[in-house]
Amino acid sequence: MAEVRYEAASRLYPGAEEPAVNKLNLDIADGELLVLVGPSGCGKSTALRMLAGLETVTSGSVHINGVDVTLKPPQDRDIAMVFQNYALYPSMTVAQNMGFALKQAKVPKAEREAQVREAARILDLTEYLDRKPKNLSGGQRQRVAMGRAIVRKPQVFLMDEPLSNLDAKLRVQTRTELVDLQARLGVTTVYVTHDQVEAMTMGDRVAVLKFGELQQVDAPRTLYSAPANKFVAGFIGSPAMNLLDAEDVDGAPGIAGAAIPLEESVLSQLKSQDLDQVAVGVRPEHLTLGTTGIEGEVTVVEELGSESFVHVTVSHRGEPTTLVVRDRGETETGRGDRVKVDFGGPIHVFGSDGLRVEA
Amino acid sequence: MALFTRAPKAEPILGQNRVVAAILGLLTWIIGLLFFFPLFWLVLNGFKEESVANASPTLVFDPTTDRFCDVTATSKWVSWFTELTNLCQPSEVTGGGLLTFSEAFSNSFWIVLISTVLVMILAVPAAYALAIRPMRKWRDVLFFFISTKFLPIVGIIMPVWIIARDLNLLGTRTVLVILYTAMNLPLAVWMLRSFFAEVPKELIEAAQIDGCSLMGQLRQVILPIVAPGLAATALLCVIFAWNEFFFAIQLNPTGASTMPVWVNAQQNFQGQFLAELSAASVLATFPVVIAGWVAQKRMIRGLAMGAIK
Amino acid sequence: MTSATTSSAAAISHEEEVRRLERREGWKRRLPILPALIFTIVVTQIPFLFTLFYSLTEWRLDKPDPRKFIGVDNYASLPGDKFFRDAAWVSVQMTVMAVLFSLIVGTLLAILLDRKFFGQGLIRTLLITPFLVMPVVAGFMWKTQMFNATFGVINWVLNLFGFDSIEFATRFPLASVVVVLVWQWSPFMMLIVLAGLQGQDQSVLEAARVDGATTWGSFRQITLPQLRPFLELGTLLGAIYLIQVYDHIEVIVGGQPGAKNLPFYIAQRSIGGGNRFGLASSYSIIVVIASIIIANIGLRVLSNLLEDDS
Repeated sequence: MAEVRYEAASRLYPGAEEPAVNKLNLDIADGELLVLVGPSGCGKSTALRMLAGLETVTSGSVHINGVDVTLKPPQDRDIAMVFQNYALYPSMTVAQNMGFALKQAKVPKAEREAQVREAARILDLTEYLDRKPKNLSGGQRQRVAMGRAIVRKPQVFLMDEPLSNLDAKLRVQTRTELVDLQARLGVTTVYVTHDQVEAMTMGDRVAVLKFGELQQVDAPRTLYSAPANKFVAGFIGSPAMNLLDAEDVDGAPGIAGAAIPLEESVLSQLKSQDLDQVAVGVRPEHLTLGTTGIEGEVTVVEELGSESFVHVTVSHRGEPTTLVVRDRGETETGRGDRVKVDFGGPIHVFGSDGLRVEA
Repeated sequence: MALFTRAPKAEPILGQNRVVAAILGLLTWIIGLLFFFPLFWLVLNGFKEESVANASPTLVFDPTTDRFCDVTATSKWVSWFTELTNLCQPSEVTGGGLLTFSEAFSNSFWIVLISTVLVMILAVPAAYALAIRPMRKWRDVLFFFISTKFLPIVGIIMPVWIIARDLNLLGTRTVLVILYTAMNLPLAVWMLRSFFAEVPKELIEAAQIDGCSLMGQLRQVILPIVAPGLAATALLCVIFAWNEFFFAIQLNPTGASTMPVWVNAQQNFQGQFLAELSAASVLATFPVVIAGWVAQKRMIRGLAMGAIK
Repeated sequence: MTSATTSSAAAISHEEEVRRLERREGWKRRLPILPALIFTIVVTQIPFLFTLFYSLTEWRLDKPDPRKFIGVDNYASLPGDKFFRDAAWVSVQMTVMAVLFSLIVGTLLAILLDRKFFGQGLIRTLLITPFLVMPVVAGFMWKTQMFNATFGVINWVLNLFGFDSIEFATRFPLASVVVVLVWQWSPFMMLIVLAGLQGQDQSVLEAARVDGATTWGSFRQITLPQLRPFLELGTLLGAIYLIQVYDHIEVIVGGQPGAKNLPFYIAQRSIGGGNRFGLASSYSIIVVIASIIIANIGLRVLSNLLEDDS
């Protein structure tokens, strides 16, 4: 039972110009599953490893359960970590792997075995307890790594891309199992991934990082409906948001010659800005194909069965530009068709500083 | 990744025509047997009577183990093996006189054993520091170790001889133990580093988080992974030390010297006893040949792959 | 603003703490390497400095004369020293021939072994064995049982074909030594090349096959470049060991002229009874300089190898 707190925590690698993690401020509530997400090199793993004590915090501090652990070694932090490649001890059996931390803590043998058996039962590993890691499948290894973490009953779970070595189908299945397990155990969890779908489906809250800077931390729904800046808008959502530099249409931002329906309050905030620097974003599901709107030609149709994504090339700022529109499944539209695209939902506007312009 | 096994789909360089393959296989067999022939002949000669060995070469003869018994100065074939095991007691340095087989064997055994143990004691922490928790400029340090291997022994033999003489170490086991340790240390550091580098970093981090001390990490996590590499490295050190002749003959040609010196002396003093010399050579050679056979795969992987991976 | 000041004061002390921890960590990382480093320096590097000093003196151990500092006179006398010139020339021939031939033979053996055939493991083991044999035994065995004019197998075969016996070790001392060296070092080269062959990227070879490359073409254009670092490593290690050959010469040629290389001659002139420690030291320095040249090229190769090693 613990909350986690990063207070202006930075990590500057020796010899590097820019810090890998820059003045990170983050509060994670007790029992919460917080996902750190971002493209590779964004500092998400470094941030996690700072919490683990595997990376030096060069300035700022890290707290677990109100205790400043910034300078404590990993073993004194009461945390458990699941690694991307699982890091199972190859010379030990599954049971020994899971019981290793308890053995280090000098927990009596009987109690240790009971706890290992309990964890194995939860994770459906009972029949594999005597096997060595090399004789397990990828999914089983992943579960052993989980088991090694939960046996310890730590204050915080740290997970560094624990599902990225599984194949696609198993990954989706394990994802839901993991969320369920975390909710049942109620242990605060920090989860790192580069996969925004994983982040959105698993996190109570999601923290988006880029170049070591925290971009936004919010519930998945908020990240999706109200991205704080251009980066988050483009990063979250699949397929990605249509994000374009605006066109000046009669003094208001527009796309491909068409003015965008915007609220007065937004327009007034844009008054002082150069419209060429303003970006507009519309999610594919908030565009419709119809009889009115921007004219263009269909170049690609992606059929997914339940829905389809139609790529429409329009002329925007004098260049051919693609807009992705969500259509129903079994769409009649085909490549080469001339269609019209209209707005059918919320439109995101980002000022010249890249930040969201709120209505 | 096992070095001598490969994906079944892999194609050999030379074509895959079956007739060609059969011919090449046969050719490889012939070359392999030819390469081994001198050794085979040596072993054969060891089992001959002197009169048969000192005659035109022949494959047909009455094998006898008498030569092996002569060499070890025991009366029965069965007892020379027990003799060998008895040899491994440290004995006092015998001053002067001709070295006997048992003295040479026991000298070699102790010199090689102690120097190899010393090498490992010095090289394991160094390899750990170079591979697992690399300090800054670890490459420069590794280079320094390898570069000492490039210093020819003749570059230091004279001062070493004079220092050993002044310290009254000439003709002792100690001087060879020290020199063999120095001789094998760079190689051992080089090989061990490559084996230690194969330990995934995350394993050590996991152990740290699990609350494992440094010694615990070494013993329970790292050692089980590098143990085969440690064994291969130690065996390679054994081979080089066992076969070493230059230091032995220059610094220790007398009572406390080793197998190569003994074989050389036998050759000089009793050159006409070809069969007995062959038997002696076989006895002098076989411990390290066996060691090499056992360690061949890992040895070369540590030498070559470690550098290249 | 006051809160900002206090937090920056805290940050400084925190940074000091971090620096202190990192310093201690630095020592923890360096300490394990020190014993090996110090031992190596004391046993190999310091004696070398002595050699350098000896080489600048006139010093005979068999005479009571004190050691006399004579500057570079020893080196100046080298070009006119016929024995030195002969030994140096033997050293060059022996090293170059032994390295070259064992590299060629080793590569061919590796290519032959790099395919599935019945008894592959056994043949590989047989082929490795010469490298494991004690050099003194290898020399003795070849001299008395292969090269020997009366009992030697080679001469027996020659006689079968109607040729006269040849006492190889006396007639062709240098060639005899090189044959034994090649016999011992080809297996070593073979193992290194084999490691290269089996570690090569198969997908590239398959791509070449798809692109229609012939067997020879893909060997020359893909396999050989991939093998290059391994061939270089083999050459380097081989040269470093073979320039120092002593055992084989002692056993096969002994005191006879014709195949005495520098290390053999140096030992003879100093510890082996010559007692001219000053002069012999200058020979040693020449050998060391030659090795440094080889090693310099070699180290560049090795550093390239280590480049990708994170």
